[in-house]
Amino acid sequence: MSSAAGVFIATLVTLTLIKATPIIYAALGGVISERSGIVNIGLEGMMAGGAFTAVVFSGITGSPIVGLLAGIGAGALLGFVLGFAATVFKVDQIVAGTGINLVALGGAAYALMLLYNQPGASPQVNALGSSYWILVALAFVCALVLHAVLYYTPWGLRVRACGENPRAVHDAGLHPLALRLYAVILSGALAGLGGAFLSIGEVNIYSDGMTAGRGFIALAAVIFGRWTPWGATGAAIFFGFFEALQYVLQGSIGWLPSDAMQAIPYVAALFAIAGLVGKVRAPAADGIPY
Amino acid sequence: MNVLRRILGGPVGAILLAFFLAACAMLVAGVSPADGFQALFIGSLGGKQQIAETLVQTTALLFPALGISLAFRAGLFNIGAEGQLVVGGLAAGAVGAHFAASTPIAVFVLLACGFIGGGVWGAIAGWLRAQFNANEIISTLMLNFIALAIANYLVSGPLKSSAAAGAETAPLPGSSWLPLLIPDTRLSIGLLIAIAAAIVLRWVFTRTVFGYELRAAGEAPEAARRNGVNMPRMTFLALTLSGAIAGLGGATLVTGVLHRFNTQLSPGYGYTAIAVALVGDLNPLWVCVAAFGFGILEAGGLAMQALADVPKDAIHVIEGLIILVLAARRYIATRAEGAPI
Repeated sequence: MSSAAGVFIATLVTLTLIKATPIIYAALGGVISERSGIVNIGLEGMMAGGAFTAVVFSGITGSPIVGLLAGIGAGALLGFVLGFAATVFKVDQIVAGTGINLVALGGAAYALMLLYNQPGASPQVNALGSSYWILVALAFVCALVLHAVLYYTPWGLRVRACGENPRAVHDAGLHPLALRLYAVILSGALAGLGGAFLSIGEVNIYSDGMTAGRGFIALAAVIFGRWTPWGATGAAIFFGFFEALQYVLQGSIGWLPSDAMQAIPYVAALFAIAGLVGKVRAPAADGIPY
Repeated sequence: MNVLRRILGGPVGAILLAFFLAACAMLVAGVSPADGFQALFIGSLGGKQQIAETLVQTTALLFPALGISLAFRAGLFNIGAEGQLVVGGLAAGAVGAHFAASTPIAVFVLLACGFIGGGVWGAIAGWLRAQFNANEIISTLMLNFIALAIANYLVSGPLKSSAAAGAETAPLPGSSWLPLLIPDTRLSIGLLIAIAAAIVLRWVFTRTVFGYELRAAGEAPEAARRNGVNMPRMTFLALTLSGAIAGLGGATLVTGVLHRFNTQLSPGYGYTAIAVALVGDLNPLWVCVAAFGFGILEAGGLAMQALADVPKDAIHVIEGLIILVLAARRYIATRAEGAPI
């Protein structure tokens, strides 16, 4: 192999990991939420909320670690709002998730104007620098932990049971609504972490539209990965690969325009949801209020 | 008391809430609500141009909101109005750039292109649901992004106008433009078409067998099925028609406002329209009123920013909060059995 090809492949692999990381976090958030029975359409908004809050707090304190934690907190807070609405008020989860997206994306743009008096983007803040590689590695640790928790702990079993048959969970003397609420808060925290990675990991600012549909790609990854932590992680890497490919190839390779590559995650999810790539089975009570 | 609760719990309550939230957004920005609302209403209703602009926004929101209402009434969650609107606009723009005929015919053909384009985009989701039981929430959402990718590709490549600097189709010949409703403004007779569509839709819902079956499919799917409603067919038709109406909206934006297609066609009308449909209680005539209300917000938002220093993005926060509150009401009868999300 020539050294040019080696450099090319190394760049591609590196970029794939970087581009996949925020999607992995959000997709893991999607998995835990959906396994508990709550569809999280609001992942995009939670990512934006996390990305924006991370920048604000890193700017105020000068510490990107504080920013990161604040980003996670902001995501968790939005998760709480969705979870509270979906459990206590039994609202329609899809409608509520759409609302979360509008509130978070609009709220970030609104606050951008109020805090910095400039539209479009925040000033530069202290970012994580090269230590963001820890977050890349942590994404895989999170997948491992989530897998272990979901399949090998009593709590995980209960959460999965909530997604299949909340009535049975209730009859076993547990609280399905509480379990769902915790799951969605965790979901928001993970999406917030993914968003913070975008703003103070990859770069050092927040700009409007920076999440660029990654929350929806994560949703696609959840489905393509068949509602399992490793499946969703694999799907996120697959989607991250095509994003990386666009950067490495500077746009398009003759027969495959970059716009077509951007559509790949969505087309893949469409095929998956139609059951054309093997049997798909969502949690039985997914999306149904209890 | 019960009457009061019903009124406040519905659209009126949502509108009051919107005013309250707007006031909060102004206070947070350090502006007195009096100044803020004054700017909002001067910017949206303060003169001929402002009223026309409000009605342009009303029209743009009304089509997708009517489409969404139709799907929701059938118990189907179409959150793909954005993509359907884009495909409808793209179809009208692509044909319109290479098509010349005298005004009524040209306009009619382009609107039909938009109707069909949006219909095809809705039909994909309808077919996937009817054939494979693929959940329409996911499919319509994914189709939004696929539509945008296709539109981006086409306007920056095959359909790009050689004359234009940006990525857009060639402009439509003047004979293909929708006639203006108010001279020297951007308001075309698209508004009248939208209102006519609302009236037709109401007639369909209340006076036709199809409308009755559609509502039955949404409200009591099991009963509808047992009484002979062909559910897969109804699913396909409802999502196709829903998309077609949104697509017609895209075509009116192209023939009535932009006179060409580009991907800035919609700043998220298809998503805001979900709020419009819900505030309008999925009732076509109330949806018209709701669209006017949101038209005021959209058109007045810019003036609010310019005159009173309240960031216009506050409008989207308000819209989102309205959706969150209205989500608590039951719109979608559970047709959930069997459709994996």
